[in-house]
Amino acid sequence: MKPARLWRLANANLSRELGALAVSAGGVALGIGCLVFFLALGRGVQRVVRDVFPVSARELEVVVPQVGVGSLFGEVRLDDATVARLRQVPGVAEAFPRLALRVPAVTRYNGLFFGREIRMGLEVVGVGISPDLIGGDARFPFVDAGEDKPIPVVVNRRLLEIYNKVFAPQRGLPTLTDSMLVGFQFPIELGRSYVAGKTLPGSYEASLRLAGFSDRAPLAGLSMPIETVRRINARFGQDSVGYSSVLLRAQRSEQVGEIASAVKRMGLDLDESERNRALQIGAAVELVTLALSLLAALITALAAVNIAQAFHAEVRERTREIGVMRAVGATRGDVATLILAEAAVTGICGGALGVALARLGGLLIDRVARNGLPQFPFKPDTFFDFRPSHVILGVVIAVAASLAGAFFPARAAAALDPARALSEG
Amino acid sequence: MSAIELRALRKRYPPREPGGAPQDLWRGLELTVGEGEFVAIEGQSGTGKSTLLHVVGGLDRAYEGEVLVLGERLRGLSDARLAALRHARIGFVFQSFNLLAELTALENVLLPDYFGDGVPDAERRAREGLARVGLADKASSRPMALSGGERQRVAIARALLSRPPLLLADEPTGNLDARTGEGIIDLFRELHRDGMTLLVVTHEVRVSRAASRVLVLREGALFPDPRLEGSA
Ligand SMILES: Nc1ncnc2c1ncn2[C@@H]1O[C@H](COP(=O)(O)OP(=O)(O)OP(=O)(O)O)[C@@H](O)[C@H]1O
Ligand SMILES: [Mg+2]
Repeated sequence: MKPARLWRLANANLSRELGALAVSAGGVALGIGCLVFFLALGRGVQRVVRDVFPVSARELEVVVPQVGVGSLFGEVRLDDATVARLRQVPGVAEAFPRLALRVPAVTRYNGLFFGREIRMGLEVVGVGISPDLIGGDARFPFVDAGEDKPIPVVVNRRLLEIYNKVFAPQRGLPTLTDSMLVGFQFPIELGRSYVAGKTLPGSYEASLRLAGFSDRAPLAGLSMPIETVRRINARFGQDSVGYSSVLLRAQRSEQVGEIASAVKRMGLDLDESERNRALQIGAAVELVTLALSLLAALITALAAVNIAQAFHAEVRERTREIGVMRAVGATRGDVATLILAEAAVTGICGGALGVALARLGGLLIDRVARNGLPQFPFKPDTFFDFRPSHVILGVVIAVAASLAGAFFPARAAAALDPARALSEG
Repeated sequence: MSAIELRALRKRYPPREPGGAPQDLWRGLELTVGEGEFVAIEGQSGTGKSTLLHVVGGLDRAYEGEVLVLGERLRGLSDARLAALRHARIGFVFQSFNLLAELTALENVLLPDYFGDGVPDAERRAREGLARVGLADKASSRPMALSGGERQRVAIARALLSRPPLLLADEPTGNLDARTGEGIIDLFRELHRDGMTLLVVTHEVRVSRAASRVLVLREGALFPDPRLEGSA
């Protein structure tokens, strides 16, 4: 049977059965629409989760184990020698040591802040990081400048987001961009704590200069050059050899598991709290997406049942015409092909409509979210992530469901005895 | 070679009530139709005239005996070979017109071209066929917009599209008024003159008069009709 002719015949039949087939295609559209909608929503929410809790699949944070009494002997320290050994572990691309500021510090700022008079006192949590970690994110030199010079600090970009979305609006402070802030200097008093209400002997004032924002900087606190932190710790008589933790970056994400076991064999431990939280949330989103997709699949299956009924009715109604087609030379295969072609067209229409509906629903919800929801940190422009693969998947499933629904009717039509078909009615 | 040969043809239907004897439609039909013959078959309702045409056309395969059509032994043919035989070499005209409602008159005539390897030069032939049955101006009309006689003429043009050597017609004038019927009988005469073999089931004496031979199906067998024998 020539495709153009097949198309013409299928079309003629479809146009007659338009009402019933619109219902069938509508059912498919509903199922496929839900499927594509939920898949895109799932992916979109995953992306939001990744923005809020970014974890790199290639990174591990190595810490010293919380030692029990029995293991004091042979305790491992995170010193330069250990870092060097970690760099030797197969699969490790880079190792970035981290050193916590081990003395309390506060910052006080009384004065003008972008045109507003503010008074602010904050405890500072300082972390020393290796300058390589943030690469080019710092716009001022990110190296220890020595005593009496401003200490360069880098802040995680997400803190700026939280400031802009929550902190600033609640206090009537201006919204800031990083270019407004970089270079800003403010005082710090090292060796003093408001919370603990104490001042260490030898406490002194210095100043901080915001050198830039980076996604690579730790979320908690202000990141300073590791040499600066070491110097300050030493000045207060704190251990100046061991690091607090070491960030390892694998060459490939598949190697993370092997590296983890190698690290544990060295007597070290891994801090996986952030990673686990992100993985748990990701898994929960995945599970909900899966459940909703199953619901959508169920709707699609019901649509296929509906198609089966519609095509059974159509075949019954067209028994005589099928007899005529057989009489002028149609084979059983031609008859089945014709019915299946009609089902495929129904599926393509239903699938395309479903994808369009899903898209429309997504736009609508994003619009409502944009205008109706208050600002919050990491509020996304869209909660959806529509992919071309979703469109293809949607249409393919729609066609498959329609063909499955029409399978038995097509078989019945092909099996019709032409003589009896012609005697009918 | 004869166009149609029936040897000891029987047709058995399942029993009317459970446990009863199967219904035997014929006692063993014997028939030979030569090439170019125009044979009319008469008979009361229920004697199996339509069934006979279906068997000859390969549409009904549940029979006993031998059926040879245009040199082919039907029992041995596959579904595809039978379809090809109907497609290229047998034309069917049914009592009720059996057009596809969503297709235009021209597309209905073109229907055989949709199947198998199509029909050579189909569109030109289809227009010629419509002109031959006097419907050149109705090519793009839908069946709904045609009268009963016009629909039957479209069906005849469709049966002739492949220029088959054999035409099977089941009461082609049964639903038509006298004048329209006359036009169709004239067309059959013309086809007969051109050398086509025709097997036509009819109740109408006018049709039988046009035939070269008239048979009556009665009590499960075919008998020559003494009234009309050889009158054409
Ligand atoms: N599928 C079937 N099962 C049982 N009996 C059948 C079946 N099909 C046809 N018959 C019977 O076979 C007989 C012949 O039917 P057919 O339609 O061939 O008769 P006909 O001579 O064409 O009658 P008419 O002149 O009314 O068209 C009828 O008695 C009919 O009831
Ligand atoms: Mg009949």
